Amino acid sequence: MAGLSVVEAEKTAESTGAGLWVENVTHVFETGGESLMALHSVSLEVEAETFYGIVGPSGCGKSSLLLMMAGLLQPSEGRIAIGDETVSKPLPEEIGVVFQESSLLPWKTARENVEFPLYLRGVDRRVRERAALEMLELVGLGEFANRRPHELSGGMKQRVAIARGFCQNPDILLMDEPFAALDEQTRMTLGDELLHLWDRNKKTVVFVTHSLTEAVYLCDKVAVMSARPGEILEIVDIDLPRPRTYEMMATEKFGKLRARIWELIRRTQQK
Amino acid sequence: MSAGADKAEGERPFWLTVLASPLTMRLACLGAILLFWELAPRMEWVSPVMLSTLSSTVMIGFANIEVFLANLGVTLGSLLLALVIAIGGGAVVGVLLGSIRPLRNTLLPIMSSIYAVPLVVVYPVFTAWVGIGVESKILFGGLYGFFPMLLATAAGIRTVDSRYMLAARSMGATRVQMILHVMLPAALPSVISGVRIGSALTAIGVIVAEMMAATAGIGFLITQNRTMFNTAEVYFGVLLVVVLAGTIDWLVSLFERRAADWYPQKVRAI
Repeated sequence: MAGLSVVEAEKTAESTGAGLWVENVTHVFETGGESLMALHSVSLEVEAETFYGIVGPSGCGKSSLLLMMAGLLQPSEGRIAIGDETVSKPLPEEIGVVFQESSLLPWKTARENVEFPLYLRGVDRRVRERAALEMLELVGLGEFANRRPHELSGGMKQRVAIARGFCQNPDILLMDEPFAALDEQTRMTLGDELLHLWDRNKKTVVFVTHSLTEAVYLCDKVAVMSARPGEILEIVDIDLPRPRTYEMMATEKFGKLRARIWELIRRTQQK
Repeated sequence: MSAGADKAEGERPFWLTVLASPLTMRLACLGAILLFWELAPRMEWVSPVMLSTLSSTVMIGFANIEVFLANLGVTLGSLLLALVIAIGGGAVVGVLLGSIRPLRNTLLPIMSSIYAVPLVVVYPVFTAWVGIGVESKILFGGLYGFFPMLLATAAGIRTVDSRYMLAARSMGATRVQMILHVMLPAALPSVISGVRIGSALTAIGVIVAEMMAATAGIGFLITQNRTMFNTAEVYFGVLLVVVLAGTIDWLVSLFERRAADWYPQKVRAI
């Protein structure tokens, strides 16, 4: 039996796919006596196995929202839930996070980084090593398994981070601008690879990004947020067929969807 | 480092490159010092009572080698135990103070203040408590290295990149897993510089204690010979201390190379 499938088999029995509910979440944070409202009454319904995008102007609180979804930050008001379970602390078997900049541990090799979430969970060494190598093969880094992060390029590091997210094998994968630090060509390639992985290994993905093209290209739905305090302006349905191909970017429909999102963001920025 | 390191600069002839390399220069400096050591007392630039020649120092030293080695053994034994207190104790307390906020806020400033005090002044009190036997050397040496080790460890733990912690937390790391697998490895470069400074100061503590009040040890031997104007024996003792200090530093850098080779820029302040 292949490594990853072992890890998978362990949990498919209990649950298959999970959606994420965000109900009237408000986030206020205190800075030196002043309180600042970052998010105001945000509600989202992320159905199981959808690729869900969140876009909005800088500082609209999308990263805070993602941290709250991950159980790493407590909402001031409102509730975040998976099924019936309220998310109030990290739930590594259900929710994984791929962070913005490389959050790989620099003293660990690529393979050790990818298997780290399984190690923390107490998975047997042989099983987790095999799962990690398999994931690294899938992102095209099989030969780099024993390299440390400082020996890898920016794109490779983010591939390892994505492999780690998938190796953790949660139902929901939260991605906080995972390609933000990469050049455009690399981010397009990684976007395609991510879709490919997601096709083979369906998860609910919440993908925060600055790039409108990326949002339309990757997602099923895109929630557009307003400037601070962040509110949901509109949820745009991306009804392009799958699998997505780069030719679609040249279609009228793609252009219209992208323009619609830009129109919403432009208006909130002007206000 | 190596003699051929800057060969790429081209133009310069090979012999000049070798001659101007840092290694050659360092060896030349060492040679000059040793030569001066031999010549200064021999030519009577310095009174032989103040400084014995290199050759007589080494010869007299080897004539009494059993005495020196026996005392060096005593010093080494005390030093090893003192290092356990300084490095082991400093690491444990450093991790606690670095990772637990209330402890850090109350105790860390006190620890830095103590580190600033020259602890030699309390040594007489020490001997009053535990006598002038080997225990006081161990305790004093241990205390001497304990504070820098503690402070470096705490600083390392405190400055761990918060992204690593956030990622590990999202992967479900427990508090113990967090300390063992994220905080300690991330703090390692700082911990190692603590080991370097801490072990050097521990050695100083032990030897100074031996010089002030003791019955054995290399420090004791140096002081005893000094009072008897056995200049050559004094310098041979100093030579042994130099070798000891060099060996400790070399061991630490070996450990550093193995343990923290992931660290891209090796910043070595001291």
